[in-house]
Amino acid sequence: MAGLSPAFGRGAMTNSWTDLENTKCFLFGGSNAAENHPIAMKYALRAQAKGAKIIVVDPRFTRTASKADLFAQLRPGTDIAYLGAIINYILEKKLYNVDYVTRFTNAACKVNSNYKFNEGLFSGFDEAKGTYNTDTWTYELDANGQPVKAASLEEPGTVFSLLKEHYKRYTLEVGSSISGIAPETIAQIADTMVENQPATVMYALGMTHHTTASQGIRCYSIIQLLLGNIGKAGGGINALRGEPNVQGSTDFSNLGPTLPGYIPAPSDVDTTTTIYGQKYGAAARKHLISLLKAWYGSIATEDNDYCYNYLPRMQSGKAITYIPMMEDMARGQFKLLFNIGINPMVSIPNNQVVATGLAKLETMVFMDIFESETSAFWRAPGVNPETINTEVFFLPVAYLYEKAGSMTGSGRWVQWKPAAVKPEGSCLPDLDILDIIYHKVQKLYAGSADSKDRAILDCQWDYGHEPDPEKVLMEINGYNTKTGKLINTIGEYLAAPPGDVSSGCWVYAGVFNNGVNLSKRRDNKDPSGLSIFPTWSYSWPANIRVLYNRASCDGAGQPVDSARKLIWWDEAKKQWTGPDVPDVPNRANGPDTPDGQTAFRMTAERMGRLFALRYANKPAGANMPFAVSAMCNDGPVPEFYEPIESPTGNLLHPKVATNPVARIRQVLKDKQNIGKAEDYPIVLTTYGGGTMHFCSGSVTRNLPWLVELRPENFVEIGTGLAKKLDIKTGEMVEVSSARGSMKIKAMVTDRIQPLSINGKETHTVGIAFGWGFVGLATGESVNCLTHAAIDPPAGTPEYKAQLVNIRKVK
Amino acid sequence: MAERMSVLYDASKCTDCGACSVACKQWNTLPAEKTNSLQGHTDFTPRTWTFVSSRESFENKKMQWMFRKQQCMHCGDAACIKVCSTGAISRNDLGFVVIDQNKCIGDGYCVNSCPFHIPRVDESAKKSYKCNGCPDRLANGMKPACVQTCQPEALVYGDRKAILQMADDRVKALLPKYPKANVYGATSLDGLNFTYILLREPDYYGLPANPTVPVELTVWKDVFHPLGLLMVAGAFGMTLLHRVMQRGQNENHPSDKDTGSGKGDAKG
Repeated sequence: MAGLSPAFGRGAMTNSWTDLENTKCFLFGGSNAAENHPIAMKYALRAQAKGAKIIVVDPRFTRTASKADLFAQLRPGTDIAYLGAIINYILEKKLYNVDYVTRFTNAACKVNSNYKFNEGLFSGFDEAKGTYNTDTWTYELDANGQPVKAASLEEPGTVFSLLKEHYKRYTLEVGSSISGIAPETIAQIADTMVENQPATVMYALGMTHHTTASQGIRCYSIIQLLLGNIGKAGGGINALRGEPNVQGSTDFSNLGPTLPGYIPAPSDVDTTTTIYGQKYGAAARKHLISLLKAWYGSIATEDNDYCYNYLPRMQSGKAITYIPMMEDMARGQFKLLFNIGINPMVSIPNNQVVATGLAKLETMVFMDIFESETSAFWRAPGVNPETINTEVFFLPVAYLYEKAGSMTGSGRWVQWKPAAVKPEGSCLPDLDILDIIYHKVQKLYAGSADSKDRAILDCQWDYGHEPDPEKVLMEINGYNTKTGKLINTIGEYLAAPPGDVSSGCWVYAGVFNNGVNLSKRRDNKDPSGLSIFPTWSYSWPANIRVLYNRASCDGAGQPVDSARKLIWWDEAKKQWTGPDVPDVPNRANGPDTPDGQTAFRMTAERMGRLFALRYANKPAGANMPFAVSAMCNDGPVPEFYEPIESPTGNLLHPKVATNPVARIRQVLKDKQNIGKAEDYPIVLTTYGGGTMHFCSGSVTRNLPWLVELRPENFVEIGTGLAKKLDIKTGEMVEVSSARGSMKIKAMVTDRIQPLSINGKETHTVGIAFGWGFVGLATGESVNCLTHAAIDPPAGTPEYKAQLVNIRKVK
Repeated sequence: MAERMSVLYDASKCTDCGACSVACKQWNTLPAEKTNSLQGHTDFTPRTWTFVSSRESFENKKMQWMFRKQQCMHCGDAACIKVCSTGAISRNDLGFVVIDQNKCIGDGYCVNSCPFHIPRVDESAKKSYKCNGCPDRLANGMKPACVQTCQPEALVYGDRKAILQMADDRVKALLPKYPKANVYGATSLDGLNFTYILLREPDYYGLPANPTVPVELTVWKDVFHPLGLLMVAGAFGMTLLHRVMQRGQNENHPSDKDTGSGKGDAKG
């Protein structure tokens, strides 16, 4: 999300699972789909059977790699080095799509002349604060406040020429020396993508668990924009989201700084909706008001600023992602934790910090299916329960198949499911539990005259005596507040003035049409044969299946790929049409209008961004889509930095080895130390538990049929390293980092080979993360080794590249 | 007689996800077992009728990781049927070899005669078990459980002729990338009802290149057995025959240890 929206305006996966069949080339970089997204792999294998090439880049030869036409092993955390070399290769050899780049991207725009990049630092670096002032990461504007476009891409000062300048340092040799991938293999990856178009990129957490996570994904954006692969069937950048409704939870603000629908959460300085609107744009203000109307109904009026004051506000400058929250807990700043469907003892770095935090709570309410390492933290090995004062309540919930509701798949498909079976015993669906709690809490506040309690008392909470999840989806879809009727389309929602519509998540507006719940649709007709399935469920926004699909057409609005016609301009009917819903600002505005040439309508400049720049001096109150300002706060263009714990120096700029604005979390003394290569010479990467164990394993490690397939955890050690350390498969080893140590069995394998990094042989080992002391299958958690340096834009921790040492346990 | 059916297993699509193994256990209500391996099953048991084995090799600086789903191959000319002392094993009209548990006494001849060493005897129950091709599902117009669940679409169930055609076409397409790709089980033993697409030679996967029914079994079943020589105690008769026949027979058929799952198995 934080990597894609600066490029395209939306943070979502651009295409869909079924669309993968249309591609001619996959770059799996940071995804082990065969083991962690097996359904995605099904479509990839279908495409491969039709001749598509599969490229896999991974620190290990995975089961996904076993299907690859081209495999490259890289050192964890060095994606930007080899991707930068690919960008340079494409630019040097002029392999880019000139028409696409000129028509749809900001390549020709002139950049603020004060923008600089020098020795690993972008202009605006504030050393004391460890942050960037982004005022120079801006466009040169004309008299109308619009970016100046040069006549030629190559003109000095354009995005395109600066891009060339930036990446000319990334030769194949430099990319190779840093990443360990042979120079000719990097060239082969680029050539394979160029020669087999449309090409698509598949990534997952292998890409996002780095201190350069968002920028790595920005590299994908640049490559796909240069090759003209965005907005096309079989193209795009596919962020593989997980089974537990990850796309859905992201849509509903699982990212701390957002509210549902990706609108910014207000901070303490945003005291009114007017001020909020001036800062984030009129569109964001409208969506915020719609949200408040959904939550507070007729009580939210213009006179009381739509109950805006009921919303909690973030402290300015305070990170509110999960890791800092756990640290605050460890500092004793929380009394109560509602822990719903997450197992931080296993999944939030590191478990010593989490355990400290949980022990400082007065109460933890734990909602899950099984007991987990988190609910049982008080009886973890080595912990004396008598020393723990936290009172833990366990609320058993219904499992996925025991409750009705919608789940949003990776391709933004909102799919309804009924409950297949009744929950066992006293288990209840989450909605029922929250409903009971809400009503009890509301009763406790009844009669209160304290104005701060109005947020609870005024809430419109009526989902029925037995709460009906479909009523929740109606609230999300939204109503016309004048007529009280459900909104029918996103167009109707967007056309209405602020306050005249409600919506619990504006991007879902239109999931109901004429009162019909479109997420229930199960018609699998595919008239175009392009795997669009337009009448299966509902895809937000507006049932568009391939985002930015205007970019699949030429200047005249006609498809450039005759075998994959998604949409086109119908001159006779004077409208955009086609098997997919056209992703254009206005369907009636043809190619002879600015609207008709716009493929990326969600960025302010309505262009795909090779450089992620913003307007300088944006006029106050300007009506711009809020996503305009989605920028990466660590650079307008990706630059390679070594992981925080790295076995080597930074070849490109030794003085600025690591991301200068990455936050290294060190709150608890001695529990979050950063190690050095002298003491910890081996790179550790972590990953999911294959098809057998899912996420933290809190469900799957309790299922006998899965446990027999993967009964215990192991560390994967390359044959060469194992020989050096005299370690054989099945033997117990100790893996230690600057944070802690664990004992685990070794698996010696050729799947990880040593790499030559900056001239030195470098070894990587790997451990699956989803293990702990609770369940049928148990094992020490690698979360005792991990550190919490986080990616500046996204807040994700660097689980994928850390330093360790290994020795045999005698 | 119904059209002979077959299951196609395409090793080029299998991702070793293990779902076939879980689906088999779920449909056949088989309990989970303790596995003494870092990555699950490495052999059959009376409660484990199918699993995926894998083998990795690093040759000429290139890594390969090959998978094979293992289960009863449902031979057209099935040794187990010939050797079964109680007539418990038969081929159903779709071509799958099934054990009638009411008749089975767990004598284990099927285990020792199987060219692939598949069945396993539950010694306490005195019954032999193996994949039965989900006859209850097939009779109701469903696919075998493993086929139904296979997400990478490595398993296909269908008319045997169509399956063989599909296998041939697929191998042709695979040859540029896998020069040793081959269809396994098309003709040997009167055709196996599990047709494999392999990416390397059968031996690499621990499979006999030319699986055969031991000649003594042919003699036993087709000559002696019909003559009613059942007064010879089964075990004694078999042992005797085995010795007699071994003298004159070529050594081509595989021994048990060659056909197990352990060979080259990268699963610790």
